[in-house]
Amino acid sequence: MENELINLKNNALSLILEAEDEKELEEIKLKFLGRSGKLTQAIRKLPKIDIEKRKELGVLANEVKETIEASVDEKKKQLKKGILMSKIRKIDVTNPGIKPQIGHLHLVTQAISEITSIFEKIGFVRVRYPEVEWDWYAFEALNFPKDHPARDDWETFFIDGASHKKYGPMLLTPHTSSGQIREMSNAVKSSVSGEISPIKMLNIAKCYRRQSDVSHTPMFHQFEGLAIDKNLSIVNLKGVLDYFVKSYFGEKRVSRIRPYHFEFTEPSFEVDVSCGVCNGQGCSLCKDGWLELGGAGMVHPNVLKNTGIDPDKFNGFAFGWGVERALMMKDGLEIDDLRLIYSNKLEFLEQF
Amino acid sequence: MNIKILDSWLREFLETNASVKDIARELSLRAVSVDKVEKTANDYVYHVEVTTNRVDLMSHIGIAKEAAAALSEQGISTKFIPPKYNDVKNIGVSFPIEIINDPKLVNRIMAQVLEVKIGYSPEKIRRRLEESGIRSLNSVVDVTNYVMREVGHPSHVFDFDLLSTRKMDIRQSRPGETLTTLDGKKYRLTGGDIVAVDDNGEIIDLLGVMGTANSVVQENTKRIIFFLDNNNPKFIRRSSMSLGIRTEAAIINEKGIDPELMKDAFKRGIKLFEEIAEGKVISDSIDIYPNKSKKGHVTVSEDKISSVIGIDINSEKSADILRKLGFEVKIKNGKLDTKVPTLRPDVTTEEDIIEEVARIFGYHKLPSIIPSFLTNKTGTFADRFYFEKKSKNFFKYLGFTEIYNYSLVSEDLFDGPVDRAIKLKNPLSEDMMYLRNSLVPSLLTSVDENKGHDEIKIFEMSGVYEKRQGDLPKEILMLAGVVKRHDVSFFEVKGIIEALTLDLGIKKINFNKRSKSPGSDIYIDGKFLGYIEVLDGETINFELNFEEILNYANNKKTYKKLAKYPPIFEDITFVLDTSVLTEDVINEILNKSFLIKNVTLKDRFSNSRTFHITYQAEDRSLSSKDVFEIHKKIVDSIGEKFAAKVK
Repeated sequence: MENELINLKNNALSLILEAEDEKELEEIKLKFLGRSGKLTQAIRKLPKIDIEKRKELGVLANEVKETIEASVDEKKKQLKKGILMSKIRKIDVTNPGIKPQIGHLHLVTQAISEITSIFEKIGFVRVRYPEVEWDWYAFEALNFPKDHPARDDWETFFIDGASHKKYGPMLLTPHTSSGQIREMSNAVKSSVSGEISPIKMLNIAKCYRRQSDVSHTPMFHQFEGLAIDKNLSIVNLKGVLDYFVKSYFGEKRVSRIRPYHFEFTEPSFEVDVSCGVCNGQGCSLCKDGWLELGGAGMVHPNVLKNTGIDPDKFNGFAFGWGVERALMMKDGLEIDDLRLIYSNKLEFLEQF
Repeated sequence: MNIKILDSWLREFLETNASVKDIARELSLRAVSVDKVEKTANDYVYHVEVTTNRVDLMSHIGIAKEAAAALSEQGISTKFIPPKYNDVKNIGVSFPIEIINDPKLVNRIMAQVLEVKIGYSPEKIRRRLEESGIRSLNSVVDVTNYVMREVGHPSHVFDFDLLSTRKMDIRQSRPGETLTTLDGKKYRLTGGDIVAVDDNGEIIDLLGVMGTANSVVQENTKRIIFFLDNNNPKFIRRSSMSLGIRTEAAIINEKGIDPELMKDAFKRGIKLFEEIAEGKVISDSIDIYPNKSKKGHVTVSEDKISSVIGIDINSEKSADILRKLGFEVKIKNGKLDTKVPTLRPDVTTEEDIIEEVARIFGYHKLPSIIPSFLTNKTGTFADRFYFEKKSKNFFKYLGFTEIYNYSLVSEDLFDGPVDRAIKLKNPLSEDMMYLRNSLVPSLLTSVDENKGHDEIKIFEMSGVYEKRQGDLPKEILMLAGVVKRHDVSFFEVKGIIEALTLDLGIKKINFNKRSKSPGSDIYIDGKFLGYIEVLDGETINFELNFEEILNYANNKKTYKKLAKYPPIFEDITFVLDTSVLTEDVINEILNKSFLIKNVTLKDRFSNSRTFHITYQAEDRSLSSKDVFEIHKKIVDSIGEKFAAKVK
């Protein structure tokens, strides 16, 4: 009896091993485990066996049954896998994949993200200051003369309402430079016996100017750098500009600074970046091989004084550039109308 | 300010071997930006952008001085040739007009009467004017423009015979006064313009901005007054902008030009009238000069110059550069004592002098060194910007496209009555009149603008503005979004917000039915966080106060020991009234035993809800008896509390 059971098992297993499809496996299962199957018949003989041996054989018979069932199942899985794999071998891998739907971050967000990472690596710390500001922060403390054109109704948006006794009219800040005053005033507030902590600020914010055409939108973004310490120089400002230009626009692009004029810096510069389209050779998109990025300069001593910093002890440099402008100076992003950036056409936004 | 400079004209004041390219490059790098160089039939035209502080460069002579300094510093032998203009002769006939000046308005006036014959200017003059962007009209008007382009001071001519009185009162205009400018346009003044008024009270000139029709030179003009006025720039700016008259003269005058320049302009003008308009002086000249320009005085040390520029530049070098720019310099004990030319009122401080030295020396010759110091600011890693970026990325990877709308909106896009709004005093248009207090209305507009898309998922993170009495508005960062799809569900949007807050380390937020509109109000720690609003069957929007989120967002991670013993799962289905809140049922179940590790809603049909319950102990495997006892408690308690039956 014991041998019979073992033979049955071996016999079944070898048949299962050779089976070629699911139908054959079902037949094998029936042949051994079915109502008149070989194992079923063998088990029927069990009651006639000696009681002492019966229990032992019962366990064995059950084991054989389970082994056959498991082997059949295992073989079925193998066969299925084989069919699947042979199907897979035949697929056209050039058919499209099933992509999860991914959205798009706005170009301005992407630019801000890159700009932030670049400056953080050289120790600049990002901040955010009010968009709705007092005249003091946007103009007066930045050394703008009272009758400067930027302070009149034609260039800057003013808020309808009463002026502050000390800080003047309320307005929409036309530049991130107002953040310079906020940052320096904060540094002075937390200074210890006249010693302020050195500043490396990166202020990125929405700005507003009263203009709208192909190269201007009434709202736009600027990023402003401010460094204040002892003995900073034009050489240091150039170091930061060159580093940014190479990092953001690519190693091939070069920068230069030219004389310019701003009320809140002295000396003041205009920063140019070599044109990415013609590689500085001169083309219809650039000015003789150069594109203007924006302004920069050494912080004017009056500005330091206005925030309470002693210009004989500390000095520094600052720069403020348009995020949209920097974006459009990148290779491949020569967008012909700035207003498109704020049009919110999905066809446009989904390109990026 | 932009000015077109002709190469041939420039070289009348410049002795140099420099090529056109050299001149353009060195001007750009060391003085003033040359945007482009245009080749014309016989000449080259430099398109120069002059900064507002350098109105002295709005002329060929001004540019020539700078070019000489810049080119010679570059090693290209160059010399500035000062203009040689003859003095004006007086003939013993006194100037026939009585001029009453107000020194608060006008710094200097020079004038003389001439006989002229009006015709066309010679070819050379016409070409030069046209190529430098000024229309050639007739020989007399051309003289004034030619002088302005060459010397840099604007001037004016009256038809002497059109003046009906012999008096010219210069004063501020009064509200309601009217005038007709020489181009035939009528203006009603609001007061505060600088005008010349005759004895009849009639305005005969809008000084510094534009002449008037009643005294304009015409084809048959025989006698003129050549008239130069140097005005208070504040008045000019105001008049020019408010009346919308942006003549070149106004653009120059509003920047404040050195009255010392007037003498050269005057001499040059008289000479030109003689040359091209058969001009003959028939009166003495007058020169009313109440506000003389003064030379500034600035002292700066050699050390300071070197320290700001960042390399060593000795006093001799600095002095050499400054002298080329017309400064008088004395070197004493390592200090430069400088006298500033009257043309340069923009130079008043040490830094101004340093700029002059540095730019002519050449910024491009300086090295680049990143300052290595660091700030003492701490805690800047997981700051607000970190969580903002994380949240934006979260939405991107869920298929949302980010929108940037303008913060300025129309009345329609303001949420609620506009008397609560922050309003612009000088908006560009009605569409951009108020600062928005919600991102949702603009986002819904963006949805409308993208018709033709079956599915729209957009979001925006931006500030809104809340009016405060006597203070700047509160700027609150908001996060809002819209999902539009034919089968969008409330729970889809709710799930997104739950997943977002979890990802930001926020364990719990609460949803309450919204009374204002279909949807849900959202709370965090009992504080209002935002809402989900179901607009219609296919559009759902939400808006969250991100400042509130930032108060709770964190990167804290907590480790819990992995369970040693297996959990037991059970599903219980209750028949519940629709008014019973799922959250209340879950909380009630959780309360029944500390062995209940988790309860979720697995399924729901019209009147039944299936809860999936996880039982687990930390110290042993639970037996079915343990579970059965808790199960019984649950069924009893839910049955009693919510009148529910087990299905």
